[in-house]
Amino acid sequence: MAALLSRERIVAKPGFNRWLVPPAALAIHLSIGMAYGFSVFWLPLSKAIGITKSVPCPDGPTGLQGFFHLLVQTECDWKISTLGWMFTLFFVFLGSSAALFGAWVERGGPRRAGVVAAFCWTSGFLISALGVHLHQIWLMWLGSGVIGGIGLGLGYISPVSTLIKWFPDRPGLATGLAIMGFGGGALIASPLSRQLMAFYDPDYHPSVSGSVADGHALVLLFVTLGVLYFAIMMFGVFNVRVPAPGWRPEGFDPATVAAKPLVTTANVSAANSVRTRSFWLLWIVLFCNVTAGIGILEQASPMIQDFFREGGTSTVTVAAASGFVGVLSLFNMAGRFVWSSTSDLIGRKPMYMVYLGGGIVLYTLVATVGTAATALFVLLTGLIISFYGGGFATVPAYLRDLFGTFQVGAIHGRLLTAWSAAGVAGPLIINGFLDAEGKPGTLTAAAYRPALFTMVVILAIGFIANVMIRPVPERYHETSVPEEPLAVGDRSGS
Amino acid sequence: MSDQQAQAPAHQTLRLIVSWTLVAVLLGYGVIQTLVTAAKLFTG
Repeated sequence: MAALLSRERIVAKPGFNRWLVPPAALAIHLSIGMAYGFSVFWLPLSKAIGITKSVPCPDGPTGLQGFFHLLVQTECDWKISTLGWMFTLFFVFLGSSAALFGAWVERGGPRRAGVVAAFCWTSGFLISALGVHLHQIWLMWLGSGVIGGIGLGLGYISPVSTLIKWFPDRPGLATGLAIMGFGGGALIASPLSRQLMAFYDPDYHPSVSGSVADGHALVLLFVTLGVLYFAIMMFGVFNVRVPAPGWRPEGFDPATVAAKPLVTTANVSAANSVRTRSFWLLWIVLFCNVTAGIGILEQASPMIQDFFREGGTSTVTVAAASGFVGVLSLFNMAGRFVWSSTSDLIGRKPMYMVYLGGGIVLYTLVATVGTAATALFVLLTGLIISFYGGGFATVPAYLRDLFGTFQVGAIHGRLLTAWSAAGVAGPLIINGFLDAEGKPGTLTAAAYRPALFTMVVILAIGFIANVMIRPVPERYHETSVPEEPLAVGDRSGS
Repeated sequence: MSDQQAQAPAHQTLRLIVSWTLVAVLLGYGVIQTLVTAAKLFTG
């Protein structure tokens, strides 16, 4: 079994078509990207006992004792804020596992890492199904949050570094394709989950506001999703291949890439990368870009209603606000592919100047003229979210440019701790400002301005960090690794 | 090596079609469903 999963086993034979690798990577990312769609479960899970309405918890112990009671209680429904911890755990464990196991992923290859990721991701669903059945929140947190989060981290980085090695001529396009899948995962998960819940619970009607599926349907839903995503991930895992040492695409001359500013032909190890200034500057860049994007994503639905409130009533209906969230999801997904591919043409540093500098302009416009027209508001926020998605998709290619291909997956894993940190900081910042103003969904545009201008400052910090990024000094370069593995072989493929 | 290369194209073309079709169907389903939801922004 171990041999079947080893890196050596999946070295591509001569003539292998490299365009088989992007759909394999997409299959994995479409599956784990489902994490973004977990909010579809919050409402039915918050009424798992009461069904028609949440059963509130009676007054009980407080403090640490109260926390442990919350973990094991079975008599009342979970609050949405309690369930929301799964989301935080997702992103904390995504970053942590990617950072901790990145070097192992690099050594063992994408198949081994992909299989472990698929088992973790599926186990998360199955443990959560048990959690719903027994009504134990700790099982939900452990299953989906912790174990599923580890699956997310491993599944996220493993195909990305492989794609970079297959597409040295177009790394932005290749990683954009895969990471677009992560954005697309939520687009699939939400409607699929609703349809499955309706299938398992005939009394549930997705189109009827307030209608929720019962606990039994949720158990079956989690089991079904676990099995389904396992199959899709395994399809990707068993189709992924790594290029043979020395392989390069037909007609590709590494010298053309190396001639670009900031692109190295040397290699830096993961251990050395974290000793460089450029790594931490890029960490700040990613942190700032993600934090600013979360500022919009976190409050998208109430935000558009609050921006167009006249005399206490919003001109944007709840249904239209949910449509706005859908539009943002499309911008998020498209930005990952379009902007990352563009970075192959204009370079990674200029692309991040567009993300961060453009974000400063767009956030300022949202804060100052965002109330002028709904279409303008949608366009401005859509572009902000496309830059947010683009930032994720372009960063692996930026790392390849700075540190080479040697351990780019492991370095990517370490950099993703910036995502975890932003996943905690972003909501804290935006909610901190909005909580001081009132309840989102009952505010006006003015209440959002302090938060929006804070995002402008955060983006400005990221912009400066990006400007300061320089090539990695030679003392960090590996001496025992071929300087440019792409250039030494004579084999080629399509 | 030449045998492998000679056999590869037809086999790989089928794999390419199956692989890209699978991800296109999954992604297409998500995009269409989201467009239906997104339409409410203009009609809702």
